[in-house]
Amino acid sequence: MTLVPVTYKGGIYQHDIVIDLIEDLGGYVVQKHVLAQEVVLQCFVPKDDIELIREISRPIFGEVTDSPLVGTEIAIVSMSLEIHHLPHPSCDIAEYVRRIGAKSNMVSLARGPGKRITGLNDEERDVINEHDIAVYLMGNFETCIEHKMPILLRGINVPVVVCGGPDKETLIKIIDPPVEGYVGGVGRFMRRTKEADQLDKLDEIIAEITRVLEKKRDDLAKDPLSVAPARLMNLIKEKVPAILEVTSPTPLTVQMSGLRVKLPYDTFAPELRAMEIEDGIKLGDIAEIEPSRMRDYILVRVLPFSETNTVI
Amino acid sequence: MLAVEYFEVECPEPVGAEYYKQITNDVLLDHNLLKVIDKLHISIDPKVPVFVAVGILKPITTVVRVGDIANINPQEGKMTLVITDETYLARMLKVFWEHFGKERVEQPDRFTVILYNVKEEAKEIEELVIGHPGETLNKDLIYALRCIAPEGFRLRSERFENGKFSFVASENTLAEDIDTLVKEKFALMGETP
Repeated sequence: MTLVPVTYKGGIYQHDIVIDLIEDLGGYVVQKHVLAQEVVLQCFVPKDDIELIREISRPIFGEVTDSPLVGTEIAIVSMSLEIHHLPHPSCDIAEYVRRIGAKSNMVSLARGPGKRITGLNDEERDVINEHDIAVYLMGNFETCIEHKMPILLRGINVPVVVCGGPDKETLIKIIDPPVEGYVGGVGRFMRRTKEADQLDKLDEIIAEITRVLEKKRDDLAKDPLSVAPARLMNLIKEKVPAILEVTSPTPLTVQMSGLRVKLPYDTFAPELRAMEIEDGIKLGDIAEIEPSRMRDYILVRVLPFSETNTVI
Repeated sequence: MLAVEYFEVECPEPVGAEYYKQITNDVLLDHNLLKVIDKLHISIDPKVPVFVAVGILKPITTVVRVGDIANINPQEGKMTLVITDETYLARMLKVFWEHFGKERVEQPDRFTVILYNVKEEAKEIEELVIGHPGETLNKDLIYALRCIAPEGFRLRSERFENGKFSFVASENTLAEDIDTLVKEKFALMGETP
């Protein structure tokens, strides 16, 4: 059964029918937002059953759309938190990827700006490495990008998409070591992205992120994970009731090969390790449970089949 | 940039120059500064790196008077002022307190100010000066130029006198000959610093 990421949008009335249906079909609801009279569900559903969900949700005016970024956590790396980069373009891009299902976090560097003074400290590096992909938002000058990128990529082992002012060909030429994705013509700007051509640029960024993530998904499929992170999410919700008390918008953040659990590490890590998944297999056996560098959260990295010899 | 007589951005990278022209336009527009700038020349060299902005301002002679922001209705023993623009309200109250004393000034709501038992005629009160828009221009302009300059250019030298301004910023220690640099850029506009 192949699960595909989709977004369901519809009225609040009778939306539980859709949730039940998704769960009965073997799918998972990753995020649920209730906005006034509207419900947005980000979920994984079996590929063959999308039509069925469409049909059942038609009488209640529900809409099912593909959203390839559901279940991914993206780091939007902004060079600083100053007016130069915020709210445009950093927030515009972070918000845009959220619309199609990704969970985006903005990572702002302490010493991002400048050419000579630029640097990446260990905390920033580790936080970026906790995500599925990092999107670097650079400035407008070739000279600076060429000079800074080798420093900013040091120790980063997640796929990187670089956005910068010069065109794509120039970016490919000047960035060394090469990264996975490039988007040209999106450097520093000081206006809201609302015109058609600016929105096209944002779509181009999404397309590049999706392309890079699809590649990562294909690589993961070659050595499947011992348990699907979305399934793990539901299990934790069931077995660790403390997670229901967390007020964060996404207490459990699903990633492509893991999960961020927003509970204190020291208190809950032993409980998570001992949590039984099925037939006596514990979470500690098939996943690494590490302290996250983000606050005192827990990071669960699910191990692949080749390491555990188990698939649940 | 219709109101600006001369506006150029100079940079060894043509793409960068184009972006910075747009950024400058957006920032000045946001800060409402386009109408006070007469000439502006920006030069950026990311290789050095250095950012230079030189320019000339239009003369600002206007002052804001009570009559510009309020309508005065003289009544028996009191005067009621109906406020039309709140921007200078706080400064106007301060002037009134100094002139008439706090006990004679009352503000019952956001858009009304009442003066009790004042000797002056309505005409005289209308003529009271409450603000000089040019006073804060210096600060506003330097803030705007800091927004325009590439980030990380933390070492700055700013000059602002006789309606002419120069702003030099860099990431590294500024070279001693910035005066020559500023002079060169002014010469490009056909002016002297």
